[in-house]
Amino acid sequence: MNATPIRLVSPLRGLVDVYLQEMKIAVAQQIQYRAANYMYMLGMVAEPVVYLVVWQTVAAQQGGSVAGITAGQFAAYYIVWTLVRNINIVFTPYGWEERIREGRLSAQLLRPLFPIVEDLGFFLGWKPVVMLLWLPIAFFLALIFHPVLNPSPLAVAVFAVSLLGAYLIRSLNQSSLGLITFWTTRVGPVFQLYIAAELLLSGRLVPMQLMPAWVQTLANFLPFQWTFGFPIEALVGNLSTAQLLGGLLAQLFWIVIGSILVRVVWRFAVRRYSAVSG
Amino acid sequence: MPEPAIHVADLRKTFTVPVREGGFLAAVRSFVRRQHREVHAVSGVSFEIAPGEVVGFLGPNGAGKTTTLKMLSGLLYPTSGEVRVLGHVPSRREAAYLRQITMVMGNRNQLQWDLPALDSYELLRAIYRLHPDDFRKTRDEFIELLDLGDLVRKPVRNLSLGERMKVETAAALLHRPQVLFLDEPTIGLDVTMQKRIRSFVAEYNRRCGATVLLTSHYMADVQALCKRVIVIHHGRILFDGELATLAADFSADKTIAVTLKEGAPERIDFAPYGEVLGSEDGKVSIRVGRGRAPDVAGRLLHDLPVADLTIEDPPIEDVIESVFAGASAEAPERTPEPAATR
Amino acid sequence: MRPLRLAWLFFRVGALNDLQYRANFWLQLLQSAIQLGTGLAVLGLIFSQTLALNGWSAPALLAVMGVHILMGGVIGVLIRPSMERLRSDIRDGTFDFVLTKPEDVQVLSSVREIRVWQGVDILVGLVVLGVAIGQLQESLGPIEAVAFGVALVIGALMIYSFWLVVTTVAFWIVRIDEIAELFEGVYQSGRWPVTIYPEWLRVSLTFLVPIAFAVTVPAQALTQRLTPETLALAAGFGVVALLVSRAFFRIGLRRYSGASA
Repeated sequence: MNATPIRLVSPLRGLVDVYLQEMKIAVAQQIQYRAANYMYMLGMVAEPVVYLVVWQTVAAQQGGSVAGITAGQFAAYYIVWTLVRNINIVFTPYGWEERIREGRLSAQLLRPLFPIVEDLGFFLGWKPVVMLLWLPIAFFLALIFHPVLNPSPLAVAVFAVSLLGAYLIRSLNQSSLGLITFWTTRVGPVFQLYIAAELLLSGRLVPMQLMPAWVQTLANFLPFQWTFGFPIEALVGNLSTAQLLGGLLAQLFWIVIGSILVRVVWRFAVRRYSAVSG
Repeated sequence: MPEPAIHVADLRKTFTVPVREGGFLAAVRSFVRRQHREVHAVSGVSFEIAPGEVVGFLGPNGAGKTTTLKMLSGLLYPTSGEVRVLGHVPSRREAAYLRQITMVMGNRNQLQWDLPALDSYELLRAIYRLHPDDFRKTRDEFIELLDLGDLVRKPVRNLSLGERMKVETAAALLHRPQVLFLDEPTIGLDVTMQKRIRSFVAEYNRRCGATVLLTSHYMADVQALCKRVIVIHHGRILFDGELATLAADFSADKTIAVTLKEGAPERIDFAPYGEVLGSEDGKVSIRVGRGRAPDVAGRLLHDLPVADLTIEDPPIEDVIESVFAGASAEAPERTPEPAATR
Repeated sequence: MRPLRLAWLFFRVGALNDLQYRANFWLQLLQSAIQLGTGLAVLGLIFSQTLALNGWSAPALLAVMGVHILMGGVIGVLIRPSMERLRSDIRDGTFDFVLTKPEDVQVLSSVREIRVWQGVDILVGLVVLGVAIGQLQESLGPIEAVAFGVALVIGALMIYSFWLVVTTVAFWIVRIDEIAELFEGVYQSGRWPVTIYPEWLRVSLTFLVPIAFAVTVPAQALTQRLTPETLALAAGFGVVALLVSRAFFRIGLRRYSGASA
């Protein structure tokens, strides 16, 4: 320690380094709180199981299928759903709320790094562990609900890539949303609105083909379905090659839009934060 | 005169806050219509700090210290006025600027609660893009200077408050910043731990030539680290200068401590010499007006069998207190005796 | 009734406090509206494909939804806030302040916090129920109304017992935040009559997490599906749940005092 200037590593190496370190921390934490996190995962299973039971009941009443979807296909849809949902866990607007309330944001603003980069790395770091933890859940759900699926190798590959796409789109959108906390301090309702839109327009609630035609059209202009419906259907929906690859392109498009949006909102949010935070 | 490290001119910050009253009706009323008022947290502050200088920033709660520090570190946008630190405008929050400063706030929480500090240090290395060799050298030096030892290997949540503060302080300085903003760096710590943090800051300042601006409720911190102090109250600067002259400027009194020789008469009335503050183990403390101190001391030496006599400034805490008391009353300093005016 | 008086006192303070945050009323209203809208959309989707779900007609399912929202409001206003406070107090060591008060610890811990604005859900639930009853073919007699009221109170007490037991676990395992999340997830299953679920799930939702008693049974009372036997079972199980949760809480307390001494 002396007054000599400090040597810096290249920006790219720095960024890769940040991701690696965040992942390391995420995995360590995940392991530390494995029991609690597993509880959380189990709680999340309730949602798709409810949807699944309801639609299997309807299917049974309608002679085996609803709008061409059989009970077994419903099971496949909602079991894959559980994996996509776990991949889609990102830093929520509530996290931003807490971060501001507890003064942790100030510490982050003092660092020469865009805080969202840290969040992306941290939650990405969780995912390998989450996937491992998901396997037994998927196994038991499959035993109970008898899913039917037979994807092509290409479908499996596209599914794997689309998981990352879904994660990034949802992360970026929710970061933009979280930044609204800089103005309202209570982000709950806005977040709820987002979740409601997501439920109806993403395939989270029901496969999109059960939705009225106008809802499906509306969904085509919005990012939501690329975070749920597309990855799930890539694996279970017998999509054509064009649909599969086109879907990945659409995901890329929404990632670009999301990145631009979050940068713009961030600029205004920080200006706002540094005007009022006492 | 070298370029100042910190340059602040006519800095102001005004907040708008809602007004709230007590009681059920008032709550209902404010539900319908809410009133606001302006709070001038900082109103026209100017100062310059040279590179390598350690300056104490003093003032009661709500004086505007933290607001000023936040503006200097780029967390708050000034309402008006000019701030430049190391040639940068802090509110632009350029990465090149942030890499050169640090701000330590009382309740620090930079570290991952559940992991050993070493993991968080690695993350900070990545965030600040530090060269691994530099980083390792600095880290190991800090571990030694702060006597961290195995503390950095334990999950942070298992550390005591004092241990955590040491580990956090190291984290805040790992990127070897040139300017340190320390807001109550020793708050809540026991005396030993305060000393440790204090000497660490002094050592860091000495080795890196860093500029330090610190606030503290503990005058010991200020006395140990700062030659110069800036006193702020109600968002304005009351005093800017050497700590030593603060007492001379603001305290109208001196304290004379007298110890009499063995066998001196038991009961002596000291009241004619000045206000008796107390006596302990044969040592009597008398408060007298600053101007009269030499005269009273002479009389004491002449009248009584004196074994030891000292003339001291009152404790710095008392001086500060009288500064604020005077400022609050918008009146000149308290003058116990007319003869004592300077 | 000392517990009720105490509850009223805290209710008043909580209401005063919440009134200051006027925006929260509108936010909560918006939030409730969103949830109602999504719920109705799902019902619409289902009944665009079928006429009845396992014998439950659309108005009957609407009644279930009404009870679900209503009970959710009761939980949000009265049960969850105090239980979350209890949890954080145990975690942060501030529970000592409760222990030093000259009141029954369980009562005090259970009434300390309320969230007034969550009450919007109670109103929304009542409105939905009203609409559902209007659409139901069967007429609603005084017996059904009383049975509904009784079932609702029993259900709320059971949910309270459940939360108390879960929160008491905090005396042993400090980090139980996720259990609240778990409950939120599982509570969503009450949107539908538990009779549609496979048996293992139905049994869990009846005796493990008493959602069947809290939502389905009151809805059954309204739609003339409730047998006296079921109501008696609910009452009996409710009493047992209250007693067990109280006993468990006392064991937890003893553990707390023992550990912190």
